[in-house]
Parts: sequence; structure tokens; C-alpha cells
Amino acid sequence: METLGYLMDGFAVALAPHNLMFALLGAFLGTLIGALPGLGPANGVAILIPLAFTLGLQPETALIMLTAVYAGAMYGGRISSILLNIPGDEPAMMTCLDGYPMARKGKAAEALAISAVASFMGSLIATIGLILLAPLLADFALTFGPAEYFALFLLAFATLGGITGKNPMKTVVAACIGLMIATVGIDTTGVQRYTFGVLELYEGVDFIIAIVGLFAISELLFFIEDKAGGGKEKMTVNKLTLSWKDIREIMPSSIRGGVLGFIAGVLPGAGASLGSFIGYTLEKKIVGKKGYFGEGDPRGVAGPEAGNNGASSGALVPMLTLGVPGSGTTAVLLALLISLNITPGPLMFTQNADIVWGVIAALLIGNFLLLVLNIPLVGIFVKLLSVPPKYLLPIVTMIAFVGIYSISNTTFDLYFMVAFGVAGYVLRKLEIPLVPVILGLLLGPEMEKNLRHAMDISDGDWTILWDSGLAIGLWVFAGLGLILPYIVGPILRRRMKVATGTGGPEGD
Amino acid sequence: MTFNDRIFGVLLIVLAVAYGWGASQFPAPFGGSEAVGPETFPYLLAVVLVLSSLYLIVRPDPDNAWPWSRTGVELVIAVVVLLLYTALLQPLGFIISTTLAVGTLCWRMGADLPRAYMTGALAGVVVFLVFNFALGLALPLGLLSFLEAG
Repeated sequence: METLGYLMDGFAVALAPHNLMFALLGAFLGTLIGALPGLGPANGVAILIPLAFTLGLQPETALIMLTAVYAGAMYGGRISSILLNIPGDEPAMMTCLDGYPMARKGKAAEALAISAVASFMGSLIATIGLILLAPLLADFALTFGPAEYFALFLLAFATLGGITGKNPMKTVVAACIGLMIATVGIDTTGVQRYTFGVLELYEGVDFIIAIVGLFAISELLFFIEDKAGGGKEKMTVNKLTLSWKDIREIMPSSIRGGVLGFIAGVLPGAGASLGSFIGYTLEKKIVGKKGYFGEGDPRGVAGPEAGNNGASSGALVPMLTLGVPGSGTTAVLLALLISLNITPGPLMFTQNADIVWGVIAALLIGNFLLLVLNIPLVGIFVKLLSVPPKYLLPIVTMIAFVGIYSISNTTFDLYFMVAFGVAGYVLRKLEIPLVPVILGLLLGPEMEKNLRHAMDISDGDWTILWDSGLAIGLWVFAGLGLILPYIVGPILRRRMKVATGTGGPEGD
Repeated sequence: MTFNDRIFGVLLIVLAVAYGWGASQFPAPFGGSEAVGPETFPYLLAVVLVLSSLYLIVRPDPDNAWPWSRTGVELVIAVVVLLLYTALLQPLGFIISTTLAVGTLCWRMGADLPRAYMTGALAGVVVFLVFNFALGLALPLGLLSFLEAG
């Protein structure tokens, strides 16, 4: 009941006119970001963070807007999956399987509408799950000591690659690089580390600059390399003829997909791609011979779409309650929280209750907005999708420049951003994932602080790090997170490959 | 071919050793040393990075091809454009430098010349107006600062 009271307060925050307006703006921008080529959700949210600061938004407004962007990006990813057979983002891959055949049969509008309804159901289920689960998990997390937190951070890194990840060692390398960058600056005892006497480095490396550089600039370079500036074929959408019967038919699939997706989102190491994959395979199993999967079965669109959206809302649970994000985009949202001076984790639920519940309420409202936006406005999004990347990416890059410049009005930050962009390009070429680098940058200070606290408590005895049952459990799971990809990873990857007929997921 | 991971692994080990050595040079914090000083966490990181880099050297993944030749040149051009954009942002002002930078990037990505620079100019002017008047953030005018009085 207490939760309900908080939720009502949250609605009061989220329904304030200016918050509602920014949620709408965020939902619109998010759908665009998800739909446009070369602008993944993590990248898009990252570019918008400095702009949210420039606007001088209140913390809750900024967070509401960017949560709406996050939710919207998941909607947007499906548009090009269905119309072009090109997934806008990775979790939308499974939507191609039945979405594109539907479009080929002249039912593109129906496929888009069905996927919007399924996305809505998936998010709704997962948000309700979030409301129920998050306070419990936050209460539980209050029992964590510094040693448990240290182990938890390790778990976060170990499972970041996901069990379908290719080479967990590269995740470790990436995490180390990120953590090393995080140690630059003046530490808590006032010692200068790796500043080389450069004044700009005293306060450490601003992770917003690093994130925007790593994502946005490296994306531009990849587009240039792939010579993908030309854009895609022209797309057309037929007139929508959808009856309630059609919607009723996909409801069971959507609900199953949403529940599965939520579970996949909450669990470390699963993620949205796995959520949509399981959603699809389960649908195929349950519906069995009565379906015509792979040839444009609406349930084959609904299942994975609901799964994908359920997982993305589920991924907010560990981020909000433990301060440990499980995906690239939630890592970027964590960056926003930290730069708003809000310490994520269990205490946030008591100290910043209005913000947390405002965001959760905004997620619910955002989903309604998205549903309303998506069905009638899909034509506009489709038009914008045909803007060729050769115009789009330079403009996006320019917006990234403006955003970073507006943080401190110095060009030093911009040079830094370009350097991070080139580094990001090289790392991606080497298949070193970027998300652990960013997570390392974000979690580094907290991780070191907890290590220090733990050692202060134990008076320098390292065994405190695996002294409690909880800590041991976390270490074991972290170990599994690194070992399992070697054992089950190849099998799962092969299955997903067979199912989609494309390359396996590579983690963003 | 598995050169990339090996070379990168060696570079990372060099980095880790340099990083670890750097940590050993930190001055002792004021008030005596504690169980965990400023150097402890970096030491841990250096060790983990050395071990994981050794793995990369021993078990490298197959290489992705690097874009040599023309594509490589295009990439270098793009980076140079971004660096020049940064350098010229304040002296030339936002609108002019954006026109040049966005225009050049569009052109190199395959747009035809007039359209590319038109896009750049349009984007520059629109973003400048939005930021200066709607958001109240002063972007530099540079060469065009004579417009400010008017």
C-alpha cells in the first residue's frame, strides 16, 4: 500500500504540465532515435544529456524526458525491421522474421500497429513488474555492506557481455580500460592521479564527453567506412485496416512475451536481445502448427516486440535499485543520474522518492503517449527514416559538438571527445565492447570507495571481500558470468543465427 | 589473420605496466598510509589488465580488416574535419564553422557539393538561432559578430 501512495505522488510529478510536455517530446525524439539508422538508443540518449543540462531542466524533468526517449527508442527500432528487414537496433532483429513478410504481403501498416500494441503491452507488464519488484529489491539491497557492493560491481561487469557474448575476456579488458580512465583526477584523499599536471584533468574525465565521443563519433566513422551514406530504398505504408479481433488475437502472445522479457531484463546477463529471442521461440512452440511463423504471422511480430520492450523496462530494475545497469542504454541513464548528483541505489528510493516514482510513473504515461503517437504518426516516422545518412550523420555529429561545447564552453572538451571517438572506432574494430568501458568510467569511483570502506572495516584484511554468504554468492555468479559464455554461448548464438539467418547478437 | 588482438594485447600490457608504475609514484597521502591507499585500486587494475591482455595474445580472435587505401583516407579526412571544426569554432564562429564542417562531411559521405553545403549552412543557422534565442545559450558568432549590434 505504501508503494501505491508513492506511485500516486509519482503521478503527481509526472502529470505536471511541463513534465508531461517533456515526456511527449522525449517519446517523439526517442521513436526517431530508434528508427533512424546509426542512432542507437544509447547513443541517442547520450547526445541528449548535455542538451538536457543546457535547457536547465529540473532533475526529475530531465530524467522523465530521457526515460521517455529510452522507451521511445524501443518502439522506433521496429519500424525499419518491418519495412526494410533491417533491424533499427539489435533487439528488433527477431521482429524482422514475421514483420517483413507481413509488409511484403501489403500489411505493413497492420504489422506496425500490432507491434505498437505489443510493445505497449510488454512495457506495461514490465513497468508493473518494476513497481512491484523494485521496492523489495531496494529494501534487500540496504543490507549490502561495502564488500557486497564491491562484489556486486564485479558481477555487473562479468555479466555485461551477456551469456550470448562472444569473448568475455574482451569485456574484462574493456572494463579495465574504463576503470583506469575513472582513476584519473584527484582522489578522495587529495592525491593527484594521472593528471600529468593538466588542469582540465584534475576533476577527472567527464564521462558524458567520453560517452558521446565513443558512441556518436565512432558511429560517424563506421558509416563513412561502410559507405552507407546513400540511404535506403523508398518505403511505403498501406492504409491501416485493423479490427479489434486482430488485437485480441495477439494479446496472449504479447502478455507471454512481456512477462518473459521482463524476467530477461531483470536478470543480469540476459538483456533485450535474449528477451525478444525467447519471446519468439516460445510463441512458435506454443502456437505450434496452427501458426505460420516466418511467413508473416502477427503473433510472430507481437511476441518478440513485447519481449524486447519488457526487457528494456525490466533492465531499469537493477539500475534503479542497485545502481548497477545491465545494458548500454541504462548505463547512459545512470550517467545522467550521477551527473544530476543523485546517487543511484537503494537509498534513492527513500532520499529521492519523488524522482524515482516520478520516473516510474512517467514510464507508464510515456507508454500511453507512445501508443497514441505511434499508430497515427507512423507515416511521419517512415518519411523521416528516408532521410539519407549522408545528411543525417553530419548533423547528428554537429549536435553532439554543440551539446559538449555547452557543458563548459571550452574547446578542450571537444578535442577530448574526438579523441574518444577515434579510440571508440579502434576498439569496435577490435571487437572490444564499448559498454563496459563506459560502465567502468561510471562505476569506478564507487567501486574504489567501497573497496576502501571494506578494507577500513577489516583493517586491511582482504578476506572481508568474500566473508559473507551474500558476497560469496555474488562472486560465484560473477564467475559464472565469465565462464558460461564459453559453454552455452556458442550453442545459443548458433540457434539465434539459425533463427534469424543473420549474424548472432554482438551486444551494443 | 590474428594480428590485431596480439598487437593490441602487447600495447595494453605496456599500458598496464606504465599505469602500475605510475601508481607506485603517488606521494603518500596526508596523515599516513592506510590499508588501501590511492595506489591499491590502480595496482589491482594493472594486474587484471595484464592477465586479460595475455589471454588476448594467447587466444586472439580473427581480425577485422582495417580500411587502408581510399576508405582509410576518407576516415582521416573526417577526423581532420572534426579537429578543424573544433579549432575554428571560436575564431570563425559557430555558423561559418558548422557550414564548413557539416558541409564537408556530407560531401565526403556522398552528397553533391551545393546540397552538402546548403545542408551545413541551414543546420548551422537553425541550431544557432534555436540555441541563442530559445535556449539562451550563447554560441560564438566569431566573424559574424558584426551582426550582433544589428
